[in-house]
Amino acid sequence: MTGLAADRRTFLKGLGVLGAATLVPGCATSTKSPGSGSAPTGQVSLQSNLSSEQAKAAMEKLVATYNKTGGSQVKLNTVAAEIFRTQLPTYLTSSNPPDVYTWYAGSVADSYAKKDLLLDVSSVWDSMGNYSKAMQTLSTSSAGQKIFVPTSYYWWGMFYRKSNFAKWGVTPPKTWAEFVAVCKTIQSKGIPPIGIGLGDTPWVASAWFDYLNIRINGAPFHRQLLAGQGDFTDPKVKAVFTKWREVLPYFDPKGKSFPFQEATSALLAGKTGMFLIGTFFADSAPKDALDDIDFFQFPIIDPAVPVAEEAPTDGYFASKKAADPDGVKKFLTWLATPEAQNIYVQSSSGTAIPANPDGKSADTALVKKGKAMIEGAAELTQFFNRDSSDALQPTADAALTKFLDKPDQIDQILKTWQTAAQKVFKA
Amino acid sequence: MFWPALQGFWLALTNWDGLSAPRFVGFGNFGDMVSDPIFRTALKNTAIWLVLFGGLSVIGGFGMALLLQRERRGVGIYRAALFTPVVFSLVVTALIWRVFYQPDGLVDTVFRSVGLGNFVRPWLADPDTALYAVIVPALWRQIGYVMVLYLAGLKAVDPALYEAAKVDGASAWQRTRYVTIPQLKGVNSVVLSVIVIDSLRSFDIVWSMTRGGPYHSSELLSTYMYSTAFQSTQLGYASAIAVVIFVLALAVILGYLIRAFREES
Repeated sequence: MTGLAADRRTFLKGLGVLGAATLVPGCATSTKSPGSGSAPTGQVSLQSNLSSEQAKAAMEKLVATYNKTGGSQVKLNTVAAEIFRTQLPTYLTSSNPPDVYTWYAGSVADSYAKKDLLLDVSSVWDSMGNYSKAMQTLSTSSAGQKIFVPTSYYWWGMFYRKSNFAKWGVTPPKTWAEFVAVCKTIQSKGIPPIGIGLGDTPWVASAWFDYLNIRINGAPFHRQLLAGQGDFTDPKVKAVFTKWREVLPYFDPKGKSFPFQEATSALLAGKTGMFLIGTFFADSAPKDALDDIDFFQFPIIDPAVPVAEEAPTDGYFASKKAADPDGVKKFLTWLATPEAQNIYVQSSSGTAIPANPDGKSADTALVKKGKAMIEGAAELTQFFNRDSSDALQPTADAALTKFLDKPDQIDQILKTWQTAAQKVFKA
Repeated sequence: MFWPALQGFWLALTNWDGLSAPRFVGFGNFGDMVSDPIFRTALKNTAIWLVLFGGLSVIGGFGMALLLQRERRGVGIYRAALFTPVVFSLVVTALIWRVFYQPDGLVDTVFRSVGLGNFVRPWLADPDTALYAVIVPALWRQIGYVMVLYLAGLKAVDPALYEAAKVDGASAWQRTRYVTIPQLKGVNSVVLSVIVIDSLRSFDIVWSMTRGGPYHSSELLSTYMYSTAFQSTQLGYASAIAVVIFVLALAVILGYLIRAFREES
């Protein structure tokens, strides 16, 4: 709660600066709206949830560079990620909302488009012909309008320490059978093979559900299920958990107690063998350990299922009520250029990959391998909450952590999950 | 001041996701509660919390006050030590205790050193222990608070009453039972109100230690209200839970006050 108070304070300070800086008579009314000034023409407000130190600095640099290009001036307002998430509906529905927002592509963005809150940015996409088909689909609303501008993405994989794998005499597995064999070998050395961090960050377990589901049932089934067109009591969903159970004995029992950051430390310290996680874990890892880090693709279970990967895509959307839609679109067009994306990628932690194919990603072996894996995938998924909604995520957290604890009760767990999910879809 | 409260009552009768206009559903939300297993767990846990947290903090606080009421050398240090946890923010308390509870942390070490290694478990991640593991730090804090309330109450008891009881040959236990406790009636009603209100609004410590997890096993009504409102954005249902919390608090306190007034008149 202290965080919230501090944030409100910086937030108000931000408002004060904003009001003072505009120097336009009548801008006192700006304090009425949460989040931004009543941007007069020529000014665009950008609400950002990138509050970690590195990302925030990268955003500041990005905005400063754009403001030098002339045209409208962009005002950056950074809000703590958790507060941003809960406040986003309020921002968008307020009478005088901020113009542009950082957010995620796919279903989570479309849920706001369905309520008619987002600006149609189809004209921005005129200059984005080189973007991949997958990016276009992700940025299109269910009504067929482009509502999102993707700027970067990252990937998930099974991360491990090269030196430890060499010490244990194992090589990265490709298939499920090989994966189970690797788990067995690592366990025989007295190390829990699979690390996880569920205390405080129970959503990490969703990565296992996502991957097993897209490997066994395929990405289209997975997406439909998360969109509410399926049923969690479906035998096909149960098959996911049957498979998962085969490797449950290899999970680190301590993983239930600590968050993913500590699970990262456990992996780096050689206390666990491997860890299914997104590249963002690198933010909390010491740089020297990163050179020893490699990853392998989540093992293939059924070769007949087209290979899909999780590639959560980040970017921007804008409010329908933006005061200066042309200024907003101009800014978004600039954000879609390789130059803008390079600035961001270079100044942030470096594991994000620019969404523009002409953008330059960090020149490390790890990033190259990740990029190649995503480009080789037949289908892309986002992540559980991004393919469904933030409201569905807690239902998955409860179901999955319970399964990890009491795998025998799977039928009951799936029934409860379906009931909880239905309530979310109806709301 | 009352407007938000009234609005909460109105929202409890609607379905609202925070985006669209609220849709009136009458008492539908309250109907849903009956069949909601998480709500039942939360209600049960709130009752356990009220009894254990409330009961033990009254017993502990009263006991400590009796022990520490007499002015002896160094008694101030003990009083201060017991009161210290009250000064910490609950979130800080939660952070400290999470370190104690972590795998191979202080709690595990203590259990192993006294030969109870078999009992060691992921305290906050085990559904059988999570709620109790959160009650302990909450008590750690509340006992000091209740102790101070009782110490103040004990100071107000006329020493002549004890003298008289002693002359009549009352034992120490009889003096406590028939002199001290009846004299503390006024303090008791304050303590009861404080305990009931603190129990029902206990949110921060649970949220910062377990977030109601694992899988809702340490959910209280207050944490469940928060997560339905701000994680699942079912604001109507969350308001309905808030109404239940309000009614419960009112019922317990009114019940006590009515009884207290009746005894007086």
